[in-house]
Parts: sequence; structure tokens; C-alpha cells
Amino acid sequence: MQAAAIVAMVAHAILTITPSHHTLLHALSSPNPSDPQKQFSLLAVSKKAVAVLKGDSKVEGVVTLTQEDDGRTTVNVRVTGLTPGLHGFHLHEYGDTTNGCMSTGAHFNPNRMTHGAPEDEVRHVGDLGNIVANADGVAEATIVDKQIPLSGPSAVIGRAFVVHELEDDLGKGGHELSLTTGNAGGRLACGVVGLTPI
Amino acid sequence: MAFLRSLTPATATAIAAASASALPAAFVFSSSSSSSSYSSSRNSSHFPNAKSLPFLSSPPNRLGLTRNFATSPTALNMDSPSSHHNSSQENGSLPDLLTEYMVDMKCEGCVTAVKNKLQIVDGVKSVEVDLSNQVVRILGNSPVKAMNEALEQTGRKARLIGQGVPEDFLVSAAVAEFKGPQIFGVVRLAQVSMELARIEASFSGLSPGKHGWSINEFGDLTRGAASTGKVFNPSNEGTAKQPIGDLGTLDVDKNGEAFYTGVKQQLMVADLIGRSIAVYETEDRSDPGLTAAVIARSAGVGENYKKICACDGTTIWEASDKDFVTSKV
Repeated sequence: MQAAAIVAMVAHAILTITPSHHTLLHALSSPNPSDPQKQFSLLAVSKKAVAVLKGDSKVEGVVTLTQEDDGRTTVNVRVTGLTPGLHGFHLHEYGDTTNGCMSTGAHFNPNRMTHGAPEDEVRHVGDLGNIVANADGVAEATIVDKQIPLSGPSAVIGRAFVVHELEDDLGKGGHELSLTTGNAGGRLACGVVGLTPI
Repeated sequence: MAFLRSLTPATATAIAAASASALPAAFVFSSSSSSSSYSSSRNSSHFPNAKSLPFLSSPPNRLGLTRNFATSPTALNMDSPSSHHNSSQENGSLPDLLTEYMVDMKCEGCVTAVKNKLQIVDGVKSVEVDLSNQVVRILGNSPVKAMNEALEQTGRKARLIGQGVPEDFLVSAAVAEFKGPQIFGVVRLAQVSMELARIEASFSGLSPGKHGWSINEFGDLTRGAASTGKVFNPSNEGTAKQPIGDLGTLDVDKNGEAFYTGVKQQLMVADLIGRSIAVYETEDRSDPGLTAAVIARSAGVGENYKKICACDGTTIWEASDKDFVTSKV
């Protein structure tokens, strides 16, 4: 009886699979041990995430993340209450802000690189460049990035997005902070990346 | 379909569970395979958990779970009339945990003063000080609140910077912060063994009385607690009666404050990252929820000695969860 129930469950699961479940099944049917990273990302089911950004001022926003099947993640950002212009936008290692900026750790940097632009080879994984606020103080951006998966050891889930006061010089400002933080000034708002229903 | 034949029954069950309950069981997959150095130890403890999935309705596991709850009265703290009042009883059975503070110390004399103050805290087993890093490591079962108070009494600034041993677990510590505007709180989760997590919480700004609280499946705060989904229950063990994410009730005193210290069996902190903790108006959580916070990664012991924020020069002694600069619009 029990075995029959399991088969029924599996059959039900197969009949009702969503695209992301489909990749799960696919990964199990053709694992590629020589590429653990790839196998890993295929195994994962979490493909959508959201962070609600808040600060002490009127700066607030929502960041939604969707991981495509090819491993790229699309990040939709909408932040309001900013000063017009460029604002550094980073992902920090921890989502813990109990000690402010300190407990969030550094820019998420599992590959031990220096700070850079999102399109650079040498960059922190958490370096997402700048978002640009219009005259009304609203910044809307769509960032597509292949270094910020929603699952696996380098998953962005549970880490924090931070919007900064100033422009990130992308490591090229010649300031002593350029190669660590992009010299982007203090934090305006931050939010922890959480799981959403698929 | 070839994959079905090659799978063991336990794995097939896990897949059924993954598909049936969406995220949780699949998350088990991802966490157990994410690092080869952890996988052997994690697999050994994780997949037995997966076997206790409801479809097997395995009697030994059910009994095991019941036994765990019975031998550990603090596990859920659900029947206790007040988590606040019987905290001393809870301390007796809390598991040991390594907690790390950064403390403003500049001389050997201060080291002795800090050590002396901490060593007399109930439950503290050992205190280790690294003066060059201004770091104090405390091993013991004392609640964070007691250690904070002892450090406060030294008159020195102190900040908790890490919990748990990251070498032992994929994720050793997590934190959920409630940032107001009415309700403030911090919930700390720390992995103490493969089957046990420690939970400590402090809240303010709640209405006096009993409030239900739980770990919910999603960390989506776009509509506050209302968008955090159902109570986290990866295995559906115990059906809707006692999901693993059920944290029981918070007992809020007349000042609107609540403190909780307890342990939870079968809880893997790594599986909770990106989910949320929600607090409800009612004891039975029949309302949409008052507030919620995402369960975030936080540093384990030795992982984060950041003392100054390079972005704006703030030091750890000045830092708080709201030291944002204000936009000059």
C-alpha cells in the first residue's frame, strides 16, 4: 500500500510539474558529475526571490529576482525617495544589520576579487553597479547578471541589498576606497533577499 | 522516466515531497549538496530526516519525534504558561553554543575584568579573549540576554558578532530583525547539532498578552506578514497540528516586551534562510499577522571581524540597525 501511495505521489508530481520542477527531474535523469555547479543549479527549485528595502529616511524599494534556466538572474529594482542621480547598489555577504553595516559583512565576494563594475571580469559578486534616480527620485532598473544565483553555495537568498548615498565609481575612481567599496558613501536603505512562491 | 528506476525509495519519496510541497524538501537537496566537505556528515543526518516524510508515515520516526519533545520540555515551549518566567528552567537544558562578541578592550586589565564578569554568568563554561582583535568568545548555554547584561555591567561597548561554528554547519547562524515602526525585535537562530537549533528572541512594541509566532515558508514582505505563506513544514510531519515552523506563543509583558529562549528539534538553520518569522495578533495565528522579518544569514564565530564601515566611516561602536544616512532630497 505504501509503495503504491509513493508511486501515486510521484506520478501526481510529474503530472503537475511546473517548469522549475521539470529541471529538477531533468537533472536527476542526466546528472553531470564533472560539472557540480551546473548540476547543483539544476537541482535547485527556488527561482524567485524578493527583497523589500527600507531605511531610516523616506528611501524605500522592492527588488525582485528571477533566475532563468540558463543561470542568469534578472533583478528588477524600484527604489523611491532618492536624490536624483547615481547610487551604488550592492549585495552584502550577510543579511544581518543588527550592527548596521558591520554585521552585513563586505560586498558578497566568494571569489576574493577586488571591487569592480558588474560587467568586469574582476568584481565582487555583489557589485551590481549603480542605479539611476530620475528627477522625482525614483530609480528603476533591470539588471541581468550571471553571478547571482538563487540557489547553491553562492545563493543570494538571505543576504542584503544595500542602496548607497553616492555613486559607485566601479573601482576606477582612484580613491583609496575605490577597490573595496567603490567609495559610494553611507547606506540609504537595505533589505534581505527572501524566498517567494514560485 | 529512467531516473525513477535508479532512485532509492527514500529519494523517490523526497522527490514526491519536493513536488508536493514545493520548496522545502528541494531545499534539503540544495543544502546537502552545496559543499562536498559537508556532504557526508550532512547526508547522514539529513536523509534520515527526509525519510520521516509523511508519505511513509513511519512509526519509529513519529515515536522519535515524540520522545524528543518529551525529553526536552523547552523544545517548543508551547504549553508553558510563560516563556519569560521560566527562563531559568530553560537555561538548564539549553545546549552549549559558541558566541562571539566584539568588546571595546584596550589592555590586559580590561581582559581580566571582562573575563571575570562573564565567567560568573550562569551557564558560561569558558571565556576566551583575543585582545588584538578585541574579540571575546563565550562557550556555554547562557542566553544572549544574560551575556549582554554581563557585558553591559563591565561598562564597555560590546556587540554580538557571531554565533555557532561555521566549520561544522553549512549555515551556523541566522537572524531575523523586526524594524518597526511599531514592533521591534531580533530573533537569533543558531545550529547546535545536526538535529537541534537554538532560538532566542526579544521583542518590544507588542500589545501585552499572548501572541502566536511562527517560521513561515516565504520571506516575501511585499505585503508584510500576509505574503509570507504558510507555517514552514517541510515534511508535513504531524500534519497541520504541530508543523516544525510553529514556535508556539510569545508572552508579552505589560511593557510590550517579550523574551524567548528555547531549542527546536529537527530544525536546520540552513533550510530557513530566506524564509521568515511572523508574529500574530492572536494566539492561534488566525489573523493575517502583525509583522514579519526575513531570516537572514549572519556570521558564525570567526567569520566577520569588520570593525569599520568603509563606505561611510562608521565604527562598530556607533553602528545600529538604523544608522542609515538620510537622503538629502
